[in-house]
Amino acid sequence: MRTVLTKLGFYVVTAWAAISLNFVIPRIMPGDPADNLINQFHGKLSPSAIRALRVLFGQKDTGLWHQYLSYWHSVFTGDFGTSYAYYPSKVSDVLGQSMYWTLVLITACTVLSFVIGTGLGMLAGWKRGTWLDSLVPVTTFLSSIPYFWFAIIVVLVFAITLKWFPLSGGYAVTETIGFSGGFVSSALYYAVLPALTIVVASVGGWLIGMRNMMVTTLSEDYVRLAEAKGLSRRRVMYHYAARNAMLPSLSGFAMSLGFVVGGSIVTEVVFNYPGIGTVLFKAAQSADYPLMSAIFLLITVLVLVANLLADVAYVFLDPRTRES
Amino acid sequence: MAVQAAAVAEADAAPEASVSPSRLWLRLLRSPLTCTGLVITVVFLVLGVIGPWIAPYDPSSVSHAVTEGPSGAHLLGTTQNGQDLFSQMLYGARASVLVGFGSAVVTTVLSVLVGVTAGYLGGLGDELLSLLANVFLVLPSLPLTIILAAYLPHSGSLGIILVISVTGWAWGARVLRAQTLSLRKRDFVEAARATGERTSRIILKDILPNQVAVIAASFLGTVTAAILTQASLAFLGLTDVTQWSWGTILYWAQVNSALLTGAWWWFVPAGLAIALLGTALSLVNFGIDEFINPRLRQAGIGTKKAQRAQVAGHRTRRPRRTARTGPRPPAAPFTPDSTDVVLDVRDLRVEYAGEGGRVRAVDDVSFTLRRGEVLGIAGESGSGKSTLAYAITRLHKPPAEVSNGEVRYTAADGTTVDVLSMGDDELRGFRWEELSIVFQSAMHALNPIMRIGAQIEDVLTAHRPHMSAQERAARIVELLGIVGIPADRADSYPHELSGGMRQRAMIAVGLALDPEIIVMDEPTTALDVVIQRQIIAKIMELKDTLGFSVVFITHDLSLLIELSDTIAVMYGGRIVEMAAAADFYHRPRHPYSRGLLASFPTLGGPRRELTGIVGSPPDLRRMPSGCAFSPRCPVAFEDCSAREPALYRIEGGGGAARAACLLYADAGGGGTEHELARGGTQ
Repeated sequence: MRTVLTKLGFYVVTAWAAISLNFVIPRIMPGDPADNLINQFHGKLSPSAIRALRVLFGQKDTGLWHQYLSYWHSVFTGDFGTSYAYYPSKVSDVLGQSMYWTLVLITACTVLSFVIGTGLGMLAGWKRGTWLDSLVPVTTFLSSIPYFWFAIIVVLVFAITLKWFPLSGGYAVTETIGFSGGFVSSALYYAVLPALTIVVASVGGWLIGMRNMMVTTLSEDYVRLAEAKGLSRRRVMYHYAARNAMLPSLSGFAMSLGFVVGGSIVTEVVFNYPGIGTVLFKAAQSADYPLMSAIFLLITVLVLVANLLADVAYVFLDPRTRES
Repeated sequence: MAVQAAAVAEADAAPEASVSPSRLWLRLLRSPLTCTGLVITVVFLVLGVIGPWIAPYDPSSVSHAVTEGPSGAHLLGTTQNGQDLFSQMLYGARASVLVGFGSAVVTTVLSVLVGVTAGYLGGLGDELLSLLANVFLVLPSLPLTIILAAYLPHSGSLGIILVISVTGWAWGARVLRAQTLSLRKRDFVEAARATGERTSRIILKDILPNQVAVIAASFLGTVTAAILTQASLAFLGLTDVTQWSWGTILYWAQVNSALLTGAWWWFVPAGLAIALLGTALSLVNFGIDEFINPRLRQAGIGTKKAQRAQVAGHRTRRPRRTARTGPRPPAAPFTPDSTDVVLDVRDLRVEYAGEGGRVRAVDDVSFTLRRGEVLGIAGESGSGKSTLAYAITRLHKPPAEVSNGEVRYTAADGTTVDVLSMGDDELRGFRWEELSIVFQSAMHALNPIMRIGAQIEDVLTAHRPHMSAQERAARIVELLGIVGIPADRADSYPHELSGGMRQRAMIAVGLALDPEIIVMDEPTTALDVVIQRQIIAKIMELKDTLGFSVVFITHDLSLLIELSDTIAVMYGGRIVEMAAAADFYHRPRHPYSRGLLASFPTLGGPRRELTGIVGSPPDLRRMPSGCAFSPRCPVAFEDCSAREPALYRIEGGGGAARAACLLYADAGGGGTEHELARGGTQ
């Protein structure tokens, strides 16, 4: 329990640091993006939008501490002002519409690629010296491919040439968003190619990490003892070798997840998927700083939550961490 | 180097101990995958430097050859504006390679600074730096990078390098900090500090050189990540899109819908180039990984096929014995003239297949173990005694191979099987049921993430499928009781027990199926003397009540003499003397045994000078000719370095003894003993 609390404390500190970083970045960057933006809109911005912009970039007439407090206020109220890329929608509305797409897509893909990669890595390590070793260079190549480029190729083959799957988007235009069978099946159909891209590109990292840990674990005494005990091969592989070999994969979850999230964001752009990635792309294109900084916050908080979950799972899987 | 030390400790007799560091680095190149990776990387580096000079066109200049496929004039075709893609690729190579390696340099410098400082200084500074690194590690780097890049619009390569370095230094710093922490505690660093060397000098001379492999791995990893990040940023249009890089090419391809117009040549080469370079760098990194982690290196040497081939030669199917259900009938107490052999090892040879040829770790070893007997096997480290223990139970792993011999086991009902020619199922049934093992370190031999009770239970589940859950639970409590562990400890994890208790738990696991034979490989070496005594007393008590036979392996000769019925002494992979324990103690025959006995004090008896043995154990790769002990032997004569002694039988005294020494080659008895005594201990 204490370990979990310590972890929780760490994530609170990290969240604070990330949110504060988001406050600091616009203020230390060269130039005055706020003025540029306001000028761009030639006075078409509402006074409240201008005020939100000033909160984001720092008003020249208030103290830094005061700015910091009102920044935190906007974080907790979710009031990030108006989006320019999607003018006049509010940033929170834009995010509310797009985040679920990304959340579902990335969660499903991460779970899938973790299960597939770790499973294959376990087998490759267990049966080292067999044809399974050739998985290593193959998956290395796959994981060195930029996600977005792989997405382009996937689109070229499956959407343009074979016409098996739709080219872009998140669901058929004939459907309306809601929990109807038509919409859900349409959304799943549209998600196949993006998911395929993300899973294939990210599976290699899990596979190689697991394979190497498996090989290392197999020469541990406790695996040898398990064999000496005359246990079935399956039992030795799962309960002695794999369960121990999996632990570093889990504790390295943070970094892997960072890669997947980053890759997925760019992948969404290729598919014009209605998620956060596409929004971030549009925001960056039109210098929509309020939207960008809100997206950064959102992604960071979600990644932190995912990491916290992985850490808690780790505590359950490795009894050694449960001691104070 | 730390990693090499680990390698040497890990591979007991594997032939790699004394290879010089530079040779080890050269070994990296021997792997074809690593070599390929290195060559590709170098090619891209060269292209990055000379690319713009050999480019046939100006990459930005437009022409009338619009959206043309690859041709002689335009090797990779043209863009919508008639720009030459091959030239763009060459120019792009420079930007991508520059960002990749530039970021890696800056990032690595940051990582080393933070990691080594934190690890070396410790204290509050370490805590703060580690926290900072951990925070940066969990922040999703690409969104952060995108934000930073968006604030630095149209930034060139330098801006991108800075952004990538700021977001990417944490991983390397964390790894290096952990390494520095462990290095700092090592003797040579402690020594340098004790002699008052300056901190900066210690870090530069003692710490950093030991981290080269890790730093290199982190450097190459960063190059790949940076090239990918740069490509992503460029593809999103967040860099200066007029500056050619592979990412920018993809950006323009996407903006101009190259995909929809079918201009595959526009986006295929850039992505392939990125993937190829990334793969190449990863391959080099695997080479470094295997270099750091010797277990990975060995993964390739011995394969299942080799293991199978080794036993396939003399496999004969025998009907499977049915598992015993009731307890074994108590055996009669062991007597020295017993002929009831339970384990008969004949001409056993174990070889390590290494890159430098084959090394014999166990060489033509034969012995018998009688029912109820305690056979003590003594020897220095590297004498092959642990390898022998593993080979008897077929637990040896590649690169070790049993190349010759038989291990014949005779069950209580008189049936005899050769353990080495058993099929997989038969072997699984034999293991633990008839023969169990107690390992040297319970800390490492017990699964750290399973409760003690569960580690006993899975033996019962595997071998006694008819037992109910209650029966298993009762048996676990009974077994723990036998070794003196409270029943509630069944729910403890190994790390929650004290060292002595862990070792006793290990023995409880070994007793689970009431086996005929227990092989004990230095079961008490890691414990302090008091606990050691308790454990030994417990083992002897259990042996008397349960009536199993023991093969007890240790380097502690005084312990062996006390508890064994028979003692075998190993030297350089061979048994050099075998005799009844009491006889051995009073009259050791082999000069090596004499030396061993002379190197520790006895509690009773006359005072004498401790002499020990001059020199060090033989290198298995370069065994002396003739008798392996001859270079260290005080009574060696000319013939000793020419003729290999067999295990000669020596009659007389308290039973038959055997010694592999030419002193006993011709005489059938103790005729030369006088001579030996003169040379051996005085």
